[in-house]
Amino acid sequence: MSYFVFGFYALLLTASCLAAYFNKRTWFLTIFAFTLVSFVLGIVGGTSVLRNVAALAGLLALAAMVSYAFREFLIAIASNNMAKELRTAPLTAAFGLFVIFTYAIAGIFAPWIAPHGEAEVIATAFAPPDETMLLGADQLGRDIFSRIIYGTRNTVSLALSGTLMAFILGALAGLLAATTGGWFDQMLGRISDVIMSIPALIFALLMLSIFGGALATDTTSFALLFVFAMVTGLLVVVARAERSIMSWVIGLAVLVAAAAGFSIGMLVLFNPSEVILIMVVGVIYAPRVFRLTRAVAGNVVVMDYIEAAKLRGEGKWYLIRREILPNSTAPLVAEFGLEFCFVFLLVAGLSFLGLGIQPPTADWGSMVRENATLISFGDITPLIPAAAIALLTVAVNFVVDWMLHRSSGLKEQ
Amino acid sequence: MGDILGLIAKRLGLGLIILLVISAIIFFMVELLPGDIAQAVLGQGATEENLAALRKEMGLDQPAIIRYLDWLGGAVTFDFGNSIVTGSRVSAIIGERFRNTLFLATYAAAIAVPLAIVLGVVVALLRNTVFDRVANVLTLTSISSPEFFLGYILILYFSVNWGMFPAIASLSQDMSFGELLYRTFLPALTLVLVVTAHMMRMTRAAIINLLASPYIEMARLKGTPPWKVIVRHALPNAWAPIINVVALNLAYLITGVVLVEVVFVYPGIGQALVDNVSKRDFPVVQACCLIFAATFILLNLAADVGAILTNPRLRHPK
Repeated sequence: MSYFVFGFYALLLTASCLAAYFNKRTWFLTIFAFTLVSFVLGIVGGTSVLRNVAALAGLLALAAMVSYAFREFLIAIASNNMAKELRTAPLTAAFGLFVIFTYAIAGIFAPWIAPHGEAEVIATAFAPPDETMLLGADQLGRDIFSRIIYGTRNTVSLALSGTLMAFILGALAGLLAATTGGWFDQMLGRISDVIMSIPALIFALLMLSIFGGALATDTTSFALLFVFAMVTGLLVVVARAERSIMSWVIGLAVLVAAAAGFSIGMLVLFNPSEVILIMVVGVIYAPRVFRLTRAVAGNVVVMDYIEAAKLRGEGKWYLIRREILPNSTAPLVAEFGLEFCFVFLLVAGLSFLGLGIQPPTADWGSMVRENATLISFGDITPLIPAAAIALLTVAVNFVVDWMLHRSSGLKEQ
Repeated sequence: MGDILGLIAKRLGLGLIILLVISAIIFFMVELLPGDIAQAVLGQGATEENLAALRKEMGLDQPAIIRYLDWLGGAVTFDFGNSIVTGSRVSAIIGERFRNTLFLATYAAAIAVPLAIVLGVVVALLRNTVFDRVANVLTLTSISSPEFFLGYILILYFSVNWGMFPAIASLSQDMSFGELLYRTFLPALTLVLVVTAHMMRMTRAAIINLLASPYIEMARLKGTPPWKVIVRHALPNAWAPIINVVALNLAYLITGVVLVEVVFVYPGIGQALVDNVSKRDFPVVQACCLIFAATFILLNLAADVGAILTNPRLRHPK
């Protein structure tokens, strides 16, 4: 028995007595349950386990304090309306916002934060940590910490673009299907049924086996991007042009120019194999977004104000943009968060399998795979990028949970 | 009863059509390749004669639709042709592995399903308490973590630090059943962690959704204890959504298996799929994809049929 153990139990028991004295039932139950659990763990595992438990509890408390402070900070800088919303946020949601904020900073300012370059070899393979390398070197002697920072930028931006593609295509198709109805609606529904009945990871592997490798060239990815942009844009043209031939012609001309511009822009931002990954993700997840948008918009379309707008002679594009979209923002935003989590996990999984983001680009999934041998020596460094993936997904989920709750999508007693 | 049988037959027919469409997608996607498989096998430097000979050997000189029907006919009898990298039968490569994967998935499901339903009911009973909140955060974390994260954490603790279970799931023919369970415990546990969290949350949601119904109010007012309200009154009506959840998560297990097999070097079909995607061995990839997709569709079908069968309104028509 050391002073640490005495101090540990004394602190816990004092805290639970205080909680009981001031009639804080929840706090008392939490702290007392924690005391009992640490009793059991202490008897089974000894002092070292107790130290770990204390460290974990400290970490949780720290996270809670950080999220509390961050929420107060957000309330202080936000406008009145936003501040009112933010006051309803539970600590978990504030924590999620804080994590997302941190990742955004790390991703945007990666070159300034990271002490070394992304693919810069500075040491021998698997060199241990020293004062220049916070987490040591990887299998080629590159600084792991710098690569994690750069990985934020690469992994998150890729997952975000994939989600955006899926979302734009899926949401547009869903909105148009809900307003048009009839065979168009049926056809899109059946197509999405078929795509959704292939498991996401398997479908991604199938498509990557075809478009990956030698086919990942500028021409192929340009063609894919162009086709994707044309299909998406065609939905807009269909909604806008109604029946006049002139607007069809103008719409199509604008569309071709816009699609070419978009494709070239994407190729400047990403290399061909990343573009193919983004497209694969877009095709796989668009049907899931379509389903939800179709369901949400389907509920709005039957409203009287839509009927009134139709009688006024408004076109489909007006209906979508001014009537349906503003009334289905909340579930769509929440869905965006959820889809982002799925896409992020899929991209991380593909990279882990060596089929996603290609080296030497730093990426969390492939970093885990490359350094996995260290785990058999009891070193946890390879788990840090994996933990970074998990942390971001948890954070987004926390925020989405709060938003769903706020828009009262969930019924709870 | 006729109603139910009709509904089920309709659902089965729909499943069959979707399976057919998917097999066509899997087959014709490979046709999208510029050139053809023969070109992909021999590379850019192949001479015209070599290409022609290989095309004839692989039957590529026939129109795509005939080859598709041929392939489909073979697939029904588990014959997927020859690998284009090694030349051996595809069924010989994946046959054994398919059995291993099924074993792993069944092992995980046998632990996860009962565990998830019991825990889901308990959490629903204790809703809005500290226990529920902690369970919420824990399950959310488990769902949000990539499978390889959980897998490596388990390896780090159970095998490297504590030396309780082997980190690599090597199998051999002459292992006893107990030995087999012991060796595959860590991969199964990884799958259990992911799937249980999902099922538990959905079971909780299904039960809590029902708690607002009038008959639950009635049961509560007549003084039934809370656990009995849930077990006797809510649970029987929650079976349809729960069966749905279970089947969906088993379907999810099928894809989760791919990553877990790679982490634990488990000789399953998922690993074969990943290896052959990078080798671009299309017949093997197609076969694996078809098997995964068929299992996925089958489980979804089972969910629908289960939901139909447990619906009291359909079982006892007026």
